[in-house]
Amino acid sequence: MAEPKTKNHLWLHVSLITFTMLALYPVFWVLALSFSGQQSVGLIDLPKDPSFFERLRGILPFPAHWSVKNYVEVWTEQQFGRWLWNSVVISAMTTLLGVFLACTAAYAFSRFRFPGRNTGMLMFLVSQMFPGTLMLIPLFIIIVKQLQLGNTYIGLVIVYATTSIPFCVWMLKGYFDTIPYDIEESAIIDGASRLTIFWRIILPLAKPAIAITALFSFMTAWNEFILASVFMESEANYTAPVGLRFFVGGFSSQWGFFAAGSVIVSLPVVALFLQLQKYLISGLTAGSVK
Amino acid sequence: MNLAEHLKRSAVLGLGFSMLLSLVLGTWMFRAEENDLRLQQRQRLAVLRANALVLAVADTDAAATRSRVQEMQELNPQIESVIIVAGTQLLASTRAEDGAPRALKREEKPLYDLSNLIRTARETNRGEEVVRKKTVQIEETTRGHLVVTLPYLSGGEYAGILQMKFNTAGADTLGDKADSIALPLWMLLAALLAGTFLRLHPEKKIDLSKLIAIGVFLLIALLYQQQRIERLEQIEVQDNQSVAADYLALAQQYDRLGILSLARDPASVNRWDTDQYQRPLGLIGADGRISTEGQARQFAKRAGLFKPILWAINLLTAAVLLMFIYGYAARGYAAFRKNIDAYIYVAPAMIGMLVLVFFPFAYGIALSFTDTTLYNESLPFQDRLIGFENFRHILGDFNVYQHTPDGISWNYQNFYWTLMVTVMWTVTNVTIGVSVGFLLAMALNTDGLRGKAVYRVLLILPWAIPNYITALVWRGMFHPQFGVINQVLQMFGMEPVAWFDGVFSAFFTGVATNGWLSFPFMMVVILGALQSIPKDMYEAAEVEGASRWQRLRFITLPLLKPTLIPAIVLSVVWTFNMFNIIFLVSGGEPGGANEILVTKAYKIAFENYQYAYAAAYSTVIFMILLVYGFFQTRITKATESF
Amino acid sequence: MKQRLKIILATGLLLMAGIFTAAQAADLVVWHAYRGAEKTAFEKVAKLYEIKKGIKVTTLAIPYDAYADKITASVPRGKGPDVFIYAQDRLGGWIESGKTVEPIGFYIDDATMKQFLPGMMDAMTYKGTVYGLPINYKSITLIYNKALVKTPPKTSAELVKLAKSLTNADSGRYGLAYWYTNFYFHAALMNAFGGKVFDKDGKLVLNSPQTIASIKQMMKWYKTDGIMPTEPSETLVSSMFNEGKAAIVFNGPWFIGEISPSVNFGLAVLPTIDEAGGKPMRPWLTIEGAYVSASSGQKESAYDFAKFLTSEEAGLILSLEGRQLHTNSAIYKDKRVMNDVVLKAFHDQLNSAEPMPNRAEMTMVWSPVTTAMNKVVKGNATPEVALKEATGTIQDSITALRKGR
Repeated sequence: MAEPKTKNHLWLHVSLITFTMLALYPVFWVLALSFSGQQSVGLIDLPKDPSFFERLRGILPFPAHWSVKNYVEVWTEQQFGRWLWNSVVISAMTTLLGVFLACTAAYAFSRFRFPGRNTGMLMFLVSQMFPGTLMLIPLFIIIVKQLQLGNTYIGLVIVYATTSIPFCVWMLKGYFDTIPYDIEESAIIDGASRLTIFWRIILPLAKPAIAITALFSFMTAWNEFILASVFMESEANYTAPVGLRFFVGGFSSQWGFFAAGSVIVSLPVVALFLQLQKYLISGLTAGSVK
Repeated sequence: MNLAEHLKRSAVLGLGFSMLLSLVLGTWMFRAEENDLRLQQRQRLAVLRANALVLAVADTDAAATRSRVQEMQELNPQIESVIIVAGTQLLASTRAEDGAPRALKREEKPLYDLSNLIRTARETNRGEEVVRKKTVQIEETTRGHLVVTLPYLSGGEYAGILQMKFNTAGADTLGDKADSIALPLWMLLAALLAGTFLRLHPEKKIDLSKLIAIGVFLLIALLYQQQRIERLEQIEVQDNQSVAADYLALAQQYDRLGILSLARDPASVNRWDTDQYQRPLGLIGADGRISTEGQARQFAKRAGLFKPILWAINLLTAAVLLMFIYGYAARGYAAFRKNIDAYIYVAPAMIGMLVLVFFPFAYGIALSFTDTTLYNESLPFQDRLIGFENFRHILGDFNVYQHTPDGISWNYQNFYWTLMVTVMWTVTNVTIGVSVGFLLAMALNTDGLRGKAVYRVLLILPWAIPNYITALVWRGMFHPQFGVINQVLQMFGMEPVAWFDGVFSAFFTGVATNGWLSFPFMMVVILGALQSIPKDMYEAAEVEGASRWQRLRFITLPLLKPTLIPAIVLSVVWTFNMFNIIFLVSGGEPGGANEILVTKAYKIAFENYQYAYAAAYSTVIFMILLVYGFFQTRITKATESF
Repeated sequence: MKQRLKIILATGLLLMAGIFTAAQAADLVVWHAYRGAEKTAFEKVAKLYEIKKGIKVTTLAIPYDAYADKITASVPRGKGPDVFIYAQDRLGGWIESGKTVEPIGFYIDDATMKQFLPGMMDAMTYKGTVYGLPINYKSITLIYNKALVKTPPKTSAELVKLAKSLTNADSGRYGLAYWYTNFYFHAALMNAFGGKVFDKDGKLVLNSPQTIASIKQMMKWYKTDGIMPTEPSETLVSSMFNEGKAAIVFNGPWFIGEISPSVNFGLAVLPTIDEAGGKPMRPWLTIEGAYVSASSGQKESAYDFAKFLTSEEAGLILSLEGRQLHTNSAIYKDKRVMNDVVLKAFHDQLNSAEPMPNRAEMTMVWSPVTTAMNKVVKGNATPEVALKEATGTIQDSITALRKGR
């Protein structure tokens, strides 16, 4: 679409930059802490009766000394690389499984009219309503005691995928609803099977939605720590968030290590988002296939 | 008329199915009750003997104890063996090969531990002035063979444990002539017969045949249950009689031997027939007479447990019957056949959910009807059942505020206060999340805006970094003296705020943190939805002279709705249960005023160890959200287009 | 496309590997929550045991925040380790809920009982039964910045005098900083005045004149003397100490690792309190014990390993390399230990310290008392009123828990 008047969006940029800076302020603190080489958050050092600028300098998140010591320590002290890899595998599998199951279910909810449809949708929503804090022991009974899936990737993947499915189903159903039904009708007339339609028409059209649900599923598995530490029985099978938690909790908290670890752990998410961005933008809009 | 047609038109399927279900469930429940009664009876007989034995050796020296125990065992063949353990010593044993007295062997550690356990139980019951720990331990090794362990006293003081192996073979009063299967079978047959001759008219709301079907069903079901209840009562009466007989025989034996002079006047309490806390049951008097009030009490207690279950069974099976005779079952089956495709698509996700979400769920709800705490976790489930007590306690406590001389003082521990905070918390957060996310998405969706990709990536960072550390940073930012926010306030000449001291300012800290964490998600979702709106719609609108506002109002918002509504519904549910932020940032300060329902449930479970009460709290949270979800989907369904 | 296929294949293979590597080859499984030097030293001790006894020991480190949940979920269900290590604060709860901790009183011999520092076995004993062997202890002590403090104060009067001279609230400098609103830290003062949480029968006796006096003492330091910062927390205290803004802190051995290398610090015994008749501050001891799991299939060897952890040989490794304060009294005769400033200082503090209660009801105490302390500190209630209210809340929770059957 050709914009008739090319604006330079000056004010938009100004406000976006301001907002981004504000939004990133806590992130800067995390970064500053991670590069400080220290374990505690730096305090604002002010003289008596500080002036405006002295205060301003005080609140800027810059470490007094730059050092990558925290990063080196985090990476070498424990098998952090291995844990990161475990996390990648578990989260990737969760994403695949979760999005696949959610796509099929959401497609049915969007395109078929069948008894139990509303109840089914409500069931998925309902599953999000029971507070998770008391779920640990029943989940342990199912996964570790009954299914004997303790200390395996698959045990965690199953739990994470089912945790993310309700969201994915609800979101995808919403998106599928916006895709006009006449596209499918004409395909059916052309003799295409349901599966072909689902695979060749609906999924490509729903790319932005799938990208978002994929990101969501990935995040669900990526940051979870308590189930991962309870289900895994050997250090080699831990995930990155479990590794991170070693630095805090109990008596001592090495926040510098934790910050450095957090930054490392966040990088794959950022990378994934960069990858998914292009689907967010170039997801074929309904208009182009009309 | 052929058979298939007949099956369809008559009530035989409906009556058959519901009757079968009712009888199977009923029989199963009564069987369980009966088995439980029998077990109790065996335990009671064993405990009676053991109590008597302990009393008989209470005031004797070690040698006399040994010989007396030996004597009693020889006189009573039901007693297989008796040992007495004191500390690490095996003080007495009726088995010669044990070679008592001697020190305990390495593999006899469980005896030593058991002795400590029972001593602790006794001390705890006394020290806390609350009877909550069993001082009698019973184990049934094989059916009829029981091992009873209880405190061995010397001069009224705890001196060790006495363990008795007891054989109760033949103690079952009704023997193993367990209820025959014939009766329920005849009843089922009767129901089937009745069903065959009833012609249904599914299209009519009420007709005679339906009424008759329901009548027949209820009649048979209730008759059967009444018969079973009477049988249970009969067993209890017989049990009491046999215990009384046993008691009298034993007492005479004691009298004869001159071991123990029993006060057998009707006024004194029977100290032999006790429960596992060594409290007299009050069913049999010291003179061996059966107490009718005690018996009635005993039965009322048992009925209190199984009556609700019977009601549930009756309701369920009646519902099955109605489904059949009103034709829902047939229609449901037809619909299932017709929509098999859709069910196949949904099945994988649904099965996963059923196993991993609804089981824990059922576990939690079942827990909420008990009084489970850390201290009684190991008791059997039915001993912990208390019905709706927890819910009554949570919902029925209206002590939300008090009038004090300084005005109204709120009771922050009250459920309704927490509920109000939670609702405010949810509404504020979702509003902030959606509006900030929407504004940013709109801004980032502007055509020709440079650096979109950079903004997008930077703005999801709050979501990407583990919230555990950002929550800490936010907490630090609100520190009254060293926090950034107060520094900024002072930069502009304002007074610093003590953020965690006031109810509202502490609430604000949570909202700020959570808003910051949740806007990226909303932004991404809305951005995705905006992408799926065809651009030519805007062009067409622009050509027709629609203003910016009109385009937003009539194109963007309606087209965002299908994705925005689910996102809002879900984020309401999540925010309602957002544990981390409250827990990590304000910790519910000041004084628990900013606790939300989930953090409260967590504290009840893991600080106060009242697991069942916490489960009830969680169930209430669930019910509130369920009602919300129900109405929300009702409203959206009305506007849903296809 | 090819690449994608590869990724999918690799994922599949990994998945299979995940399923089949859940092997149980190990002989003794031990769970702990250590990392860093503590972990290395602990693993070294495990290895040593393996060489000596020929029994393979597998250790598993678990993050502290998940540790208790992991024990509570797995051990009563027949899973989990043979031996696990945890502080005594959870012990009572695990014993009351059952099927978690194995009593070991039967195994323990006199020589083992006698090797420990005073008070250690008390923490491992619950209602007269021994459930664990103590391995190491922690308590707070006085840590000071040598650049600011020449000689550490011995009495509260000295402390206040010194701290006042070092305090400048306007530039955020304070003579003393500790997490005084946290009951764990406050307990040192409470114990100095003779306050208690439970009596020997488990009755709640928190609301006593002694406890009230101790809170008033804390308020004197904070309000009247003004020598402590507002809204203290662990992170605030460590930041302040590292930047030279707090001259003296009360903190434990865990704090040593957080001190910035640029700070030259010294340690001393906590001061005596003149207001409490010259009695010393008595901090609570947290004692980590090794427990035999009730679900273990080899309890005797599990106990044997736990016993080895308490031996002098293991103790020297754990204290010199793991920087732990071991419970075996013999190691404090070793020169290397006694020449270590940190180890020696905490050992000195042990003379006036007492074990934290190991009752399950203790978890109900923390949060109401913290609320009460915050109220007092913020001037919303007097110590008397706040403590009375807190005791009421705690007593209600305890009564609800100790319900009769």
